Amino acid sequence: MSEFPRQSAAARGLALCDVCEFVAPVRDGACPRCGHSLHLRAAGSLQRTWALTIAAFLLYFPANLLPVLRVESFQGDHQNTIIGGVIEFWQQGDYPVALIIFGASVVIPVLKIISIIALCLAARSGRRARPMTRIYRVTEFIGRWSMVDVFVVAILVGLVQLGSAISIHPGAGALSFAAVVVLTMFAAMSFDPRLIWDAAAAHGEEPSPS
Amino acid sequence: MKTGESGGMAHASERNRGTQSALPFRANHENGSRVPPSSALIFAVDHPFHFTQTLACRDCDALLEMPPVHEGEKLVCPRCVSPLLTYSRNSLHRTAAFAFASALLFAVSNFFPFMTLRAGFRESQMRLWQSASGLEDQGSTILGGAVSLFIIGAPILLIGGLLYLILPLFSNRRLPGAIVVCRWVLAARRWNMLEVFMLGALVSLLKLGKLATLTLGTAFWSFVALILCLTAALGSIHPRELWARLEQAEP
Repeated sequence: MSEFPRQSAAARGLALCDVCEFVAPVRDGACPRCGHSLHLRAAGSLQRTWALTIAAFLLYFPANLLPVLRVESFQGDHQNTIIGGVIEFWQQGDYPVALIIFGASVVIPVLKIISIIALCLAARSGRRARPMTRIYRVTEFIGRWSMVDVFVVAILVGLVQLGSAISIHPGAGALSFAAVVVLTMFAAMSFDPRLIWDAAAAHGEEPSPS
Repeated sequence: MKTGESGGMAHASERNRGTQSALPFRANHENGSRVPPSSALIFAVDHPFHFTQTLACRDCDALLEMPPVHEGEKLVCPRCVSPLLTYSRNSLHRTAAFAFASALLFAVSNFFPFMTLRAGFRESQMRLWQSASGLEDQGSTILGGAVSLFIIGAPILLIGGLLYLILPLFSNRRLPGAIVVCRWVLAARRWNMLEVFMLGALVSLLKLGKLATLTLGTAFWSFVALILCLTAALGSIHPRELWARLEQAEP
């Protein structure tokens, strides 16, 4: 198994169990500790990550163009997109809130898609393995925070039930937005960062030990 | 540990070739200093990592010999500097206490009103689970289902699962299905979004605050405490330690 870097477990035919992090020979097939199947690397990791990222990217458009919220009151109907909500807060002078929503709903999903693409490319080139691994960990951690806007919709819909005076309904944008967040979370999950290190060793870009 | 032997042997050859870079460093919690491991130490039988001979980094697949690790220390991968494991002080007691507190706080958070909205003579109250069921009432079944998974399903699985695993470990036992439960608990961590929901609650507070009077209920404050306790419970025991303890426990 010479295609794996010398210091890796895979080079010795040892696999890290995805579930319980036990190290066992991959030829055993199943983890002796928890019974989960053993693989040296996640199967089809890059294809799956690409597919999920492209799906998330496509859904990002309806998520931002369609309204997330529809307010019905005696003053008439009022629809709100995510960007519309940010602009509303900004115009009212609530700059911190506007920035938080802008960060969570616009910046994080875009950055996440960009960084997953960068990770997929790094898994081929093996460049800058250590910073890319850090980007991977941040991407995994930060993705859930984009769900803020979906929860705002849920709270407003659950809270504002003032009979005929005013009622709030979820819009189609909310579902697309939740789907973007969930898809990018799955994309980050299916990415195997060890591929970056395999590529780094194969291209002679292995960083010196810290 | 039939297969542990071959892992150990792979390690011995690694050591003989003198690849010092493959050994992890112990990072001390208190001062952040790094000291190379002294392989002289042998773990006591009741040490959670007594049976653990090898570690592989999740992020870069570096194969490492299990170094001596004491309570309050954490290990960092020398190759990719990802955290390998943290061995917290009194991990079992801490996790059990925080998980138990989380269970109580979760019940309080769902039973009492979360927020109350007053506009003129009208008043409407929202309990935590109503944020999900409200969406379902409006016809957004998928969205409602997802929200209930993130703020009800995943936390219940986390709290209940942790208690199911941790409490028997005090007498070194594991209950039937512990492996499946542990797997689900670890998977649920990612989908538990209580703290994100809290940020959403604060944003809606500002959004509605100008139109109507909003009062925060008992559940809101217990929810804040729930987030802190659940985060502490999860942070007190590392998955590797949990698995190692479950392995040593008697079924």
